[in-house]
Amino acid sequence: MIYFDNAATTGKKPAEVINAVVTALKGYSANPGRGGYKYSAKTADAVFRVREKTAEFFCAEGPEKVVFTLNCTHSINAVLKGVLKKGDHIVVSSLEHNAVMRPLKKAGTSYTVVEVSLTDDETTVENFKRAIRPNTKMIFCTGGSNVLGRLLPIERIGELCKEKKLLFGVDAAQIAGVIPIDMKKMNIDYLCVAAHKGLYAPMGLGILICRKSIPETIIEGGTGTNSLDLTQPSELPERLESGTVNVPAIIGLGAGLNFIEKRGIKRLYSEEMKLIKAIYNGLAKNRNIELYTPLPEPWSYAPLLSFNFKGIESNAVARLLDQNNIAVRAGYHCAPSAHKQIGTLENGAVRVSVSAFNTFAEADTFIKTVNDENFFKILKKAIE
Amino acid sequence: MKGHLITTGTVTYALKGRDILRKKGFKASVERITSGENSLGCGYSIAVWGDIKSAEQLLRNSGVKILKISEMNN
Repeated sequence: MIYFDNAATTGKKPAEVINAVVTALKGYSANPGRGGYKYSAKTADAVFRVREKTAEFFCAEGPEKVVFTLNCTHSINAVLKGVLKKGDHIVVSSLEHNAVMRPLKKAGTSYTVVEVSLTDDETTVENFKRAIRPNTKMIFCTGGSNVLGRLLPIERIGELCKEKKLLFGVDAAQIAGVIPIDMKKMNIDYLCVAAHKGLYAPMGLGILICRKSIPETIIEGGTGTNSLDLTQPSELPERLESGTVNVPAIIGLGAGLNFIEKRGIKRLYSEEMKLIKAIYNGLAKNRNIELYTPLPEPWSYAPLLSFNFKGIESNAVARLLDQNNIAVRAGYHCAPSAHKQIGTLENGAVRVSVSAFNTFAEADTFIKTVNDENFFKILKKAIE
Repeated sequence: MKGHLITTGTVTYALKGRDILRKKGFKASVERITSGENSLGCGYSIAVWGDIKSAEQLLRNSGVKILKISEMNN
């Protein structure tokens, strides 16, 4: 099978991650931060080592600022619901995932959606600037679109937030482990990360890294500390980490970070971008295919793209590709605003996303399959 | 050499503090503590041996939140 749905989750995990998870299940299965005995302490130590590594990887202020959550959506909810109050205004981008938009709708917070230019960062930054109001408290945006791959100019938006004294949160689901993130340099106050995508960890683990406080909690419970006090502890990470953490996934994350560091994040990104450009160029030759962005260039795009066969529903294409043992994601990718921007609300789009494990041979097979005359004939026949 | 317990509250701060102290040559370990007088319940302390004033300063300078320092009986 050719797996091109890495933006949903990296479907192939490095051997070292798999080994680390097995090791964790065999030798680190006590509850960390609860007991005082050696086995619990050993597990707590292992979790702490990954906190340290994660903090270093994202240039966070310290391991205590790294909170392990259930997933990136949980991290985003913790920020939006924990920081924003009634009367606050927030600015978000047109490429946000429902992980951002649904919590905002539920909270009833006033927000402005800013269009992201697919070609010009200056325009995007200006759009953000124009949307700021006197009661704007925060800019929260994706680091890279899960539909189009378009990277947002995070560092420049961070500068804008600093200048306007706004909080800055980033949904890094599509960029963590893909491009370097320096929270300090980029002035990011809240970084929300999915561990199972570009960081190659198992599913069921998110990360939230804070440079600023989160006044309200969305989940309260046992932290292994201050047990006689029914008030949630004030100190991070425990404040936002009630209940037992996912130790096997955390230890797997540590191995995932090692995997990326060993190969070099910039080298991996460069290779993945070559691959996605080759796929783009192959699809661009097909007159029946519609693409929605310019050729994805490094540092402007993440290694993913969306396309459609003109007039054909995206899931029909994905189904036919699946019959050819190629896994891609079709539909709306939980990001309706991005589809509205590119005019694909009717049929959705077919997304191709690559990882470190994809090859040019796989890209060739994919292009040959999609560009085969019979492929289009079968699609057309299916909708007749 | 006198031993002290530096209560940090969270296991994360205790582990961070232990590592900082060890790097500077202190003998230090993390201890689980339970309810005591004026305590809010379970928590974590760093057991440290050596100059407690230097140890405390080192931890505070590194952003480790200290709740209490007490002398160990043995």
